[in-house]
Amino acid sequence: MSNKFIGKSVKRVEDKRFITGRGRYTDDIVLPGMTYAYILRSPYAHARIKSIDTSAAEAMEGVVTIMTGEEVGHYGVPCGWQVNFKNGDTMKEPPHPLLVKDKVRHVGDAVAMVVAESRELAQDAAEAIMIDYEVLPAVIDASKAVEEGAPLVHDDVPNNICFDWEIGNPKEEVDAALASASHITTLEFVNQRLAPNAMEPRSYIGQYDNVYDKYTLYTSTQNPHLIRLLMCAFVLGLPEHKVRVVGPDVGGGFGSKIYHYTEEALVTLASKKIGRPVKWTETRSEAFLTDAHGRDHVTKAEMGFDADGKIVGLRIKTFANLGAYLSTFSTAVPTYLHGTLLQGLYTTPKIHLDMTCVFTNTTAVDAYRGAGRPEATYLLERLLDLSALEMGVDPTELRLKNFIPAFDGVTQPGYQTNVALQYDSGNYHGVLQRGLEMLGYEDFRKAQAEAAKTNKLLGVGFSTYIEACGIAPSAVVGSLGARAGLYEVGQVRVQPTGKVSVFTGAHSHGQGHETTFAQVVADRLGIPMEDVDIIHGDSDTVAFGMGTYGSRSLAVGGSAIVKSLDKIIEKGAKIAAHKLECSVDDIEFIDGKFNVKGTDKSLGFGDIALTAYVPHVYPANLEPGLDFSSFYDPTNFTYPFGCHIAVVEVDKETGTTKIKRFIAVDDVGNVINPMIVDGQIHGGLAQGIGQALFEGVEYDENGQIINASYMDYTMPRADDFPMFELDRQVTPCPHNPLGVKGAGEAGCIGSTPAVTNAVIDALWSAGHKVKDIRMPLTSERVWRAMQS
Amino acid sequence: MELTGTHTLPASAQKIWDMLMTPDILAKVTPGISRLELENEGVYKAVAEVKIGPVSGKFEGKAMVENPVAPESFTLKVLQNSKIGNVAADIHMKLKAINDSETELSFEGKADMSGLLARTGNRVMSGVANTLTKQFFKNFEDELAAQ
Repeated sequence: MSNKFIGKSVKRVEDKRFITGRGRYTDDIVLPGMTYAYILRSPYAHARIKSIDTSAAEAMEGVVTIMTGEEVGHYGVPCGWQVNFKNGDTMKEPPHPLLVKDKVRHVGDAVAMVVAESRELAQDAAEAIMIDYEVLPAVIDASKAVEEGAPLVHDDVPNNICFDWEIGNPKEEVDAALASASHITTLEFVNQRLAPNAMEPRSYIGQYDNVYDKYTLYTSTQNPHLIRLLMCAFVLGLPEHKVRVVGPDVGGGFGSKIYHYTEEALVTLASKKIGRPVKWTETRSEAFLTDAHGRDHVTKAEMGFDADGKIVGLRIKTFANLGAYLSTFSTAVPTYLHGTLLQGLYTTPKIHLDMTCVFTNTTAVDAYRGAGRPEATYLLERLLDLSALEMGVDPTELRLKNFIPAFDGVTQPGYQTNVALQYDSGNYHGVLQRGLEMLGYEDFRKAQAEAAKTNKLLGVGFSTYIEACGIAPSAVVGSLGARAGLYEVGQVRVQPTGKVSVFTGAHSHGQGHETTFAQVVADRLGIPMEDVDIIHGDSDTVAFGMGTYGSRSLAVGGSAIVKSLDKIIEKGAKIAAHKLECSVDDIEFIDGKFNVKGTDKSLGFGDIALTAYVPHVYPANLEPGLDFSSFYDPTNFTYPFGCHIAVVEVDKETGTTKIKRFIAVDDVGNVINPMIVDGQIHGGLAQGIGQALFEGVEYDENGQIINASYMDYTMPRADDFPMFELDRQVTPCPHNPLGVKGAGEAGCIGSTPAVTNAVIDALWSAGHKVKDIRMPLTSERVWRAMQS
Repeated sequence: MELTGTHTLPASAQKIWDMLMTPDILAKVTPGISRLELENEGVYKAVAEVKIGPVSGKFEGKAMVENPVAPESFTLKVLQNSKIGNVAADIHMKLKAINDSETELSFEGKADMSGLLARTGNRVMSGVANTLTKQFFKNFEDELAAQ
């Protein structure tokens, strides 16, 4: 152990290649003889395919092959998480074919794939494919899709209901608690649909080698091994050892690149068929139509309080829109990643969520940065601030009154919620109090009262959130319906000269693993960071892995590496004891040296490594070599939490909202690289505030996305924000060796309700007692709210 | 997209009716339509070139005259396909004689768009519809003056 790197803002080692344009993304890869695919997509949200004629297209210049549903429609991609109906029946799981042959179910549904000598030739030929559609009525809104007589997305799924589900206390108990409440706050709202908008569009290359009978798939993914497992075992029936999946540099995922997409299997099949590599890269316009969207909940929530302001019950009815097909983890998001977070930071004694998950003629919905937890946080935190306004009490005092008391999870037990989870450790009062200090709360309220007399209203919004990261252990998630384990793999290979190659099943697509993981390894082994290389993303070099999502990389992937490092040090000590002629108990490992305690006799890490590979003077019964692999399956989720505070200025005449200050005090456990954590928080805040103020996929009544381009879909920009004011509290995770909790999603989970709350607070300060404004809070919507 | 328009034209209802039923004239006055060919009774093959905001394209499809009640009303159905998306429009046209030399021509209907047209053009659609409507009536007046 040494203490040179952990906790330091080491500059990111991967940035040299990224900022000099040397990153190597899938679309940068050009293979000999490569062909290019273009996918012909449905212009309609719902239509029966009466005929497809590819003959004219097949005769066109440069066309190599054309595939349709007739050829590959019997292959489909699976859902990775089974959820059952309340009555125990298995969820409805209609097939999601690689190419559709009977009817299209959303705009962008794939109908044919043309492979040609160039992308342009493929596109030209696709336009010559004649398809005769019979257009059918479409259903877009989840709460309307369940009504009698609504169009059926899948003919054999009654009322479009994939499943219904509940969690929490028995509903009668919650009803009784609310009946006894002295105040009930009711909020009906929409958590709108978002497009993930990773900077790098999805891109795949299929390559079949007929000499070795081996397939390679290059894919812009967050989890190459999982893609290989799904594609081999559940889609194409290929032998896994004959398939290599490589996720090279990937330019952002935010969840949208977790899933196994149809195009990955299509390029793989096509490359076998034609004996040449096949590349497909989506256009930005296709990304809006086909990258799984996030959120889209329609909710009615009621929170009851007693006369002292203590929460007595929470009752929720939500319709979650799953889109036209089940994406890989779509069923887990509104259920186990959302319902289980409804305790929040509060001691709410009775909670009940009634959830209905619904198919519609829209793009599939799945995890998007935060995945379920932003929906739960938005619901709770909106209710808290709104309740304070309705009851005429201070929103921070209302929170302090209802917070779960601090517990460290070591000397005190974890906190058992009413919605299945057991929190690991927390100090919720701490983050709120720190946030209030940074805000200067009393002064703010004075300034707000002054501003209320002017045309520039001031508002403050609070959000004290909790999230669950590093979803695990496998046995638990398995019992909840996950069709995969959720451990991670870390292999540490010490080379004979003492240099270290680390193979991790986590996958970096912007998170900086090559830096953070190297900091951990360098400190644990007492060697320079330059001596450590972090390797990820290739199923032929990394033994196995579950990839990166749910802020799990360091908590789960980092812990797997630590397990291997422990084995390295333990074996190194045996070798050192033998060479130094002492008992292994007398060896201590400090700053990269194996010392005999109380003497000046020692051997360096490099000496031990060389001895392990040149074992001339070596313990009997000890294998040569210094190379260990470990699987780490956590004992629990980790639970980061924090306090986000937004201060906004609302122009009374135009409804325009400006973020004046944004304060975020996050507790993500121990921090390895503060700069990287700050970067993660910044990015998360931009996305979370983006949902509140700017973003949202809009459908017309026919199921056309009417803002599927950057001309119409508003992305947040740097100049929309002030400099974020960040601080941290550290409550270590008690159950993983690094004490880390995860920081990838926190910013996105906590920030959204703080902004909406702040705008509502500004409006109330001028007497506009508005309960809700639908996100995004555009100037028009805020202005209209003030006129009502 | 909702389509509505009303305009008084300086001609008799019969005269306007005859012009509307003449493919060459209809093609000339309708903005964007470059060719109309009679295929069957009441069914035309239509070729149109339209630029709507950021998207432009050449449309090919059918225009159908249904339920004609000369010289009072008919329904114009348009089904157009293009690389940038498809349009299906249903427009009810009404002619109301004010006197022998003045007729109020009005229409109302709806156009559904799909594909790129729907995704990137929607923002400017209502503005475009207004412009096209004005252009249509102006062209009609010009054509009347020329005759």
